[in-house]
Order: sequence, then structure tokens, then C-alpha cells
Amino acid sequence: MTDTHPPRTGLGLAVAAAAMLVVAGGGAFWYATQRNAAANPEAPADMTVSVGAETCDPRDITVPGGNRSFRIVNASDRPIEWEILDGVMVVAERENIAPGFRQTLTVQLAPGDYAITCGLLSNPRGTLHVTPSDEAAVAASEVTLRKFLGPLSEYRVYLVLQSAKAVKAAEALREAIAAGDLAAAQAAWKAARIPYRQIEPLASRMADLENAIDPNAVYLAGQEGDPGFTGYHRLEYGLFGQNSTDGLAPVADRLVADLTDLSARLKAVEIDPALLIGLPGAMAGQLATAHVPAGENRYAGNDLDELQASLDGIGKLTGLLRPVLAGVDPGLEGDIGAAQDKAERDLASLKQGDAWPAYDQVTDDRRQQLAGSLTALQTALDRMQPVIGIN
Amino acid sequence: MISPFLRSTALGLALAGPALAADPSLDLVGPLSDYKIFVAENTAQLVSDAEAFTAAIKAGDLDKAKALFAPTRTSYERVEPIAELFSDLDVSIDARADDYEKAEQDPGFTGFHRIEYGLWSEGSTQGLEGHADRLLADIRELDSRITALTFPPEVVVGGAAVLMEEVAATKISGEEDRYSRTDLWDFDANFEGAEKIYTLFRPLIADGEADFVAKVDGNFQAVREVLAKYETPEGGFVSYEELTDSDRNILSAKVNTLAEDLATLRGKLGLG
Amino acid sequence: MRHLAPNRRAVLLALGASGLALAARAQGPVPQVSDAPAAEPRDTARRVPFHGPHQAGITTPRPENGLVASFDVVATSLDDLERMLRLLTDRARFLTEGGPVPDLDPALPPADSGLLGPVIQPDNLTITVALGASLFENRPWLAGLKPARLQRMAQFPNDALDPDLCHGDLSIQFCANHPDSTIHALRDIVKTLSEFLVLRWMVEGDVPPVLADARGATPSARNFLGFRDGSANPDSNDAALMDRIVWTTGPHEPGWAQGGSYQAVRIIRNMVERWDRTPLVEQERIFGRTKMSGAPLDNPDATEHHVPDYAADPEGRAIPHDAHIRLANPRDAESQRHLMLRRPFNYSRGVLPNGQLDQGLLFICYQADLEAGFIAVQNRLNGEPLEEYVKPVGGGYFFALPGVRDKADYLGRALVDAARRT
Repeated sequence: MTDTHPPRTGLGLAVAAAAMLVVAGGGAFWYATQRNAAANPEAPADMTVSVGAETCDPRDITVPGGNRSFRIVNASDRPIEWEILDGVMVVAERENIAPGFRQTLTVQLAPGDYAITCGLLSNPRGTLHVTPSDEAAVAASEVTLRKFLGPLSEYRVYLVLQSAKAVKAAEALREAIAAGDLAAAQAAWKAARIPYRQIEPLASRMADLENAIDPNAVYLAGQEGDPGFTGYHRLEYGLFGQNSTDGLAPVADRLVADLTDLSARLKAVEIDPALLIGLPGAMAGQLATAHVPAGENRYAGNDLDELQASLDGIGKLTGLLRPVLAGVDPGLEGDIGAAQDKAERDLASLKQGDAWPAYDQVTDDRRQQLAGSLTALQTALDRMQPVIGIN
Repeated sequence: MISPFLRSTALGLALAGPALAADPSLDLVGPLSDYKIFVAENTAQLVSDAEAFTAAIKAGDLDKAKALFAPTRTSYERVEPIAELFSDLDVSIDARADDYEKAEQDPGFTGFHRIEYGLWSEGSTQGLEGHADRLLADIRELDSRITALTFPPEVVVGGAAVLMEEVAATKISGEEDRYSRTDLWDFDANFEGAEKIYTLFRPLIADGEADFVAKVDGNFQAVREVLAKYETPEGGFVSYEELTDSDRNILSAKVNTLAEDLATLRGKLGLG
Repeated sequence: MRHLAPNRRAVLLALGASGLALAARAQGPVPQVSDAPAAEPRDTARRVPFHGPHQAGITTPRPENGLVASFDVVATSLDDLERMLRLLTDRARFLTEGGPVPDLDPALPPADSGLLGPVIQPDNLTITVALGASLFENRPWLAGLKPARLQRMAQFPNDALDPDLCHGDLSIQFCANHPDSTIHALRDIVKTLSEFLVLRWMVEGDVPPVLADARGATPSARNFLGFRDGSANPDSNDAALMDRIVWTTGPHEPGWAQGGSYQAVRIIRNMVERWDRTPLVEQERIFGRTKMSGAPLDNPDATEHHVPDYAADPEGRAIPHDAHIRLANPRDAESQRHLMLRRPFNYSRGVLPNGQLDQGLLFICYQADLEAGFIAVQNRLNGEPLEEYVKPVGGGYFFALPGVRDKADYLGRALVDAARRT
């Protein structure tokens, strides 16, 4: 455990403990949901994958197409994330699974070949082979795409416009760094994060770019010294951890290039309804289990500002999906609205006057409360897939 | 030139064309969102052009206001299928005198054409300040509503034909910009708006509908050739009064044929 | 801005709802207000042959409904013109012969307006296509091919021509037993030929049906002035007469035009309110006929077909010299040269700005020689007393193409072939 928490804060252990509580709580809720749905508490997963220090067991998986669940067991001594990838696109993921803990991931899978990550980014990937099935065929033919065309298009507009803003903001950051103006660069860094956080639900699934743009030192073998430590947090580390712009220019150049690449990638990506529906819940879950408990901006401490941007990004998605949902399950639509309001209120209650405090001033209780409301939001959002999910 | 393809006649339609998609495909998302970006760019342009236009009115600069009238309108005319989704704003921005019982003297008559009436028929900016303020406020409101709007796919795809129907029904006769005679600017913008939609979705049908695509391409090209004759060196257009009968007939035939053909676009894309 | 028609839909919905209520109460087949009028099956099934040496709709017996539409033609090459004429022929052939409408995917606009249901009934429909002088102007590839007498209609002294109701590159006369058939055919042409034809003006009219007498004969129909119109028309069943009066022949006309006919269309407004306030005696002297029977005034107890004896009335006591029928046809040897075949319909188009009814005569006539026919007769009529009550406001001169001989032929083929040879 000791090498997983941030080195510069004494809160690490407490935060990690809180994270476990949240994970356990979320897991218990998940099991309860599954019990109600399937009346079989003991068999929630189609497949158990154990992730060790260097590999997955099994590493090559075959499942029939359809709605599949995977129980991920972290058998290593580091927190891990587990992802299913279609090319470079993340189909589904679980982040921040603590050592010794397990999480279940349910995903609608179309027949085809996928890759799975196994712990550290440097570990070899496994394969996931999804075979054709009646279930997948029925799922594919159930509902029309038509009512999703508007939301999908609107979200693509959002991605295109916000990613363009992210590029522009990163360019401003690069200029401040090039000018050696630390204060300006720190301000520019904070501003540059906002558009990225807004589109993170999908941006983070471009696995290769995500690893360059937004890697966290904690997931890297060499921590801050790791050559793979690039992107936003590398700049954050320099600007806020080391209070210097020295040596950051090439990192900023690379960030601008990667974001430009991301922008083009987001413009070209084909989003289907299942993905769109899955994005806000996955993002809420990620915030609840990783960002809120542990904090992400270890050096800048501006997590609350970014959490607001993330909620805005989630809100954009739910704003698009709720009209579709309203016609099918108005109760759930109301639940989602209420859960979202609750999360917004919990976050807003942390404001001091008009400003956000540094994240290390947010107590464990408040973090736990916020994580709890985000978990509740995720739970509500994850109920959308069976109601309006189509493939 | 006249396109050599005649397959869109009633018989031609019955004989030609692959079976239509029962449902739209995800391939629509790209063009749909590209269209929204196009619209957003136009409304942003409209806001900044309207700022300059209304400032000229309020400064009492008649010549400048007259010069800015037609170019300001083009951004509106290009995106009319979406802009007119908001009927309250469409009325207050773009209604004509004959939409009101008391015509030009009606207190409800406001927006572009009320200002046009003042600038050309009354030859003055006096009394237009209130209309200018309202126009700018309406345009800003339109811009923000459009930004927040999830575009209905059938409205976007159907918009190409809608624009052509509008030109055919209420514009080709020269009744839109009756005081300023700047109708050709509007035609051009309407055609651009229709062609933008068509061009965005064209790749989705080009393979299976070669004859259709060739015919529509040819008709847009023919329209461009006619309008090009009336362009001024500054990039604008001469008065509608200079449009010859024969060119008006060509535009009329083209716009009706485009309306006829583009009306099938929704069906072809599974949005019937 | 979208310009909307007044919201009639709500009114129609309300009407529909009350119609349903009536239907629900009704027991048995008592016709309701909203029921379609019961048709005579023989009417809609009747077909006028499309193919022949001449176009139908000229010497064909006049049905109840007629419509003339005038178009500008968008055709910048002979190839365009040929495509237009071929397409027009295909549509006219289908519409006049009738048959099922093609079924399209419902996601598309339908192939047909649907006015006549799934199967088009021929309904005695004729479609008669004629060309205006302007078609031949500014088209060098048609140089030298304009029919010799074809010209732009010039203003006569009493005319008040409205430019929006005059001339055109191409006219189409639609005639049928029912107005929905003529409208349906027009809508089809407008839809399918939008690339080539731009509508300039259109007038629809009708003639009242009259009960046949014991021999099955009917009198001439009345116009909106209340007089029988057409009593002195030449016998359209006399083929030799038609060859002389109606069909264009002879070396002075281009070869392609043989078998066609000059068409004069006049939209003649009638001042019906004023006419109705005019003493009957004066009305009858203006026409030269009795109002009820149509008999010429020199023998008011005869029939309308009585031939007036102007030689016996040199001073115009019975029939004034300026009476309409006496000016139009003096019944002398010379007037044989000026005969034409009239085919008019009455029109009624709402209200004029002055609050008077917009009613009149859609005058259509055919002749072998436009100048000897309509133009000469109208010049004789200039200044007639009837002018106080009528005002020509539109129309035009056209040349009706020769007929379509068979399935392989098309309207104007001879013209296109001639243009290709030059």
C-alpha cells in the first residue's frame, strides 16, 4: 500500500481507506441490485479475471456476445485499472481496484475481437474473443437508432468544440511556459484542464492518447521519474510540485500535439448509443472510486474545480439522454435527475464563498459524502442501459 | 446546362433506386453534427454582423446600414431550416409586412424587413433604433437557443428541400427583399444552405444513387452558374430587377426540381 | 421566414369531426354531406385515344371541364427540348390512358398526388400541347422552324392585358369530364417536368351539362352572360371541313407543322353585375340572339341553329350590324375564309379588388390559319357594343403540335427531326 499513495500528503492512508469503504459500499449496492434483477447473488459474473503483477489469468478469454459481466480480482500489490479495448477505443473499464479487492464490470458486447489490459500499462495485454450469439443478435435488432441520432450528433458537436477549446487552452499554457511565467502558466494549466475534463468521459477511452495526455504517476512503475510520465500531470508536477517552468516546454509541445491528435480522433470516432449511454455512469463511477477519494491533482490541489467540469461533462450527456429515457422510464429519468442534483449540491456545498478550496482542505467525511452521491448517480445512470440500451 | 438525368420522374422513381433503409444508420451522426457546427458558425457570424449592422443604424449612418443589410442577412438565410424552428424569433426577425394586417404600418412589423423598409422606402435610420435593438437581442437569443438545441435529424435532412420550397414558393418572385431589391443575396444563401446539407449527406447515398446524385449536382451547378452572372466585384449581388426573365425561369425550374429531388433525401436516409 | 397559409386545418378537423358524428347517427345508405357525389361509372372509364394524326382535345367533343396552363420552357439545347417533349409525351400518354399509380416506399414522397386514388381513370382526359412564338425566339437551333403565322398576341383596342396572364413558350389544354382529372393531370405535369416547365399562368373553366333531348342532342352551352355560345360552330365531325378549317396544311407552313393547328386562348372577363342590370332587349341586340333559345333575332321562334338572313335585313333592324354574331360571322362568301372551331369554358375565380365577381370566358379556338381565323374575326369585332361588358385580360397564341402516331412517336418529333437536319 505504501507506494500507492501520494508521497507528499499525509492524507494518503486515510484517503485510501475511504476509497475502500466506498468501493465496498458500491459493491454491496451492486450485489443487491443484481440480486433483485437475477435472484442469484452468487453468480453475478460470467467470467472471473485475476490480475497479477505481470499478467491476467486467464489472459485469453472467449465469451458469447450480449450483456456480459466480468469479476476483476486484483491479485497484485498495486491499485489497477482493467479495460476492454476495441482497437484504441475503450469499450468498458474499471479503475482504481485496490489490491486484494474485486469489482464487477458488466458490458454489452458485440461479436468480435477485443483486447484487455492487465494491470500496469506496460504489462502485455490479453485477448477477448466475443462469439456470435442469439442474445447478441436479438440485442442488435431490438430498438431503432433514430432517437439517438440527435443526442449522438449533439455529443459529437460537444466533443469537437470542447476538444478544440482544449487545444487552444493548451497552446496558451505552452506560451506561458515558453515565456517562463510561472504564475501565468499555473493559471493557464488550471484553465486548460477544464475543457479536457468536460470531454474526459470519451477522451479517456482513447487509450494510447490517454496514456500520454493524462497518466497519473501512481500508475507508472517509475512514478514521477518514469519516462512515461507525460501530459497534464507532468506539467502540474513541474508547475506546482517543483514551482518551475524549467524543462516543461517539450512536455507542453507534446501535450498540444497529443490534444490536437485527440481532437481529430474525437471528430472521427463513431459513437453508438450503447457507448453514449455508458459514458456518464462510467465517468461518475470513476469520480466516485478514484478521483474523489484519492484526489487526482496531487500538486495543484484544484480538484474541486475539475470535479465541477466533470459534472458538467456528465450533465451534458445526461441532458442528451434524459429526453430519450423520459419516454421509456420516467421514474428512472427522475431518479437520475435527483441523483445528479444531489451530486451537484454536495459539490457546491464545498465552495467557500465563490472559490473552491484546495482539495487537501476537504475532509474525509465530505469526500465520502460526495463519493457516495456520485456512486448513487452512477447506479442510477447504469440502470439506463437495460432500459434504453440498443446495439 | 440541363442535367441529362431524368430518373426522378414518377415513373423513374418507381423503376430506379435501391430499397430504402428502414432505419437510419449511425453514419448520419457525422453529417448531422457537422451541420450543427456549420449552423453554429453561421449564427456566431450573424451575431457579429448584426452588431455592426445595428450599430450603423444607431449611429445614423444610412449608407453603411444599407450596405450591411444584405450581407448580414445571409448568415440567417443559410441556416433558415433551423432558425425557423423558433417561430417566435423567426417572426420578429424575418417576417414581412404582408404577414401583418396593417402591413408596413402595423406595430407588430419589426425585424430585418421593417428596418429594410425604413432604410430604403423611408430613406432614413430615424425611428429604427428600437427595431435595431430588438433585432440584435433576438439574434443573440437565437444564437444561444441554437447552441442548446439538439437538432432533430429529420429537420436537418429535410431542411435542404425546405429551403428550396421556400425559394420556390415565396422568394423567386422577388417579394422577400422588396424595398432593397437584394433578393439575390438571399437566393444565394438559401442555395448554399441547401447545398451544404446535401453535400454533407451525399457520401451516404452516392454509391447507390449515382443518377440522383449526378442530377442534383448538375442542378446546383446550374444555379451557381446563373447566380454568378449577377455577382458584383465586391462579392455581393446586383439588384433583383436586373435578373432577366430567362434566368429567373432557369432558377425557378432548378429550384422546383431540387425541391422535388431533395424531398426524397429523408426517405433515402431512413428518416422518412 | 416561413409563410404560412391561414390555419384552415383546424377548421377542416372540426368539420371532419361533425361529419363523423353525422355518419355515426346515420342508418343505411342515405348519402351524407361529406360523401363523394355518386359518379356515373361510364364517365370516368371513357377514354379518348391518345394516338392519331392530330392531337386529341381539338375536334374531340368538349367535356365539362377545361383548363389551360401556360409555361415558360427551360431548354437550352435541342437535346433538352427533345427530352422535355419525350417526357411530356410519356406523361400525357399515361394520364389519358389511365392505369395504376406506381407504389413507392412510403418514406418517399408518393409518385402521384393521389387525387384520383390508386388507379388513374381516363375520364375522357385530353392533353393538348401547343408552342408559343417565344419558344422559337433566342433559340438559334430552332431558327426557320416557327410556324408561319405564329406570333406574339398583340393588344386589341378593348384589351387590358395583364402580363401575368399572357403568352408563354408552351401551353397545355387539359379537358376531362371531371375537374379533379384536369387538376390531377396538371399537378402531374408540374411535378414531373419541373426541370423544364415553369408555370406562367393557368385558368380553369367548365361548361354546364345540359339534359339531352329525345334524340340525344344537346343545345349549345351557356356562357356567364346567360347566352348560348357556339351555335354557329362548324361541325367538328365533318373531317373534310376540319381539314380545311382547323388543321394546318400547305406549302407556306414548315413541313413539320402539317397536321397541327393554331390555338388562340383569350381570358375574357365578363362584367356580370353590370350585364345583369342591362335590359333584356339590349342584351339580346348586343348578341343578335334571343337569350333563352339562342335563335337569331331575325327569327326569334326558330332554334339557335337557324342561319340568319342578313341579306333580308340590310339595315340591321332585326339584327344590328354591330351585333356580336353579325360582326363575327356575316355569313357571306368571304366569311368562309375566316371560320374557326371554338372550344370555350366559363371561369369563375373569386372576387376582384372592387368587390365584383371575377368571372368570364376562357375562350379557346383552333384554326388552320391564325391570321385568317381568330385575328381577322377579332379585328371585325373591335368596337362592338359587347365590349362594354367584356374585357380581355390575358391569353396567347400557340401552335398545337401534330398528333403522336404511335408508342414510338412523341409530341414534336417532326420539329426536333427538322431542327437536327438544319
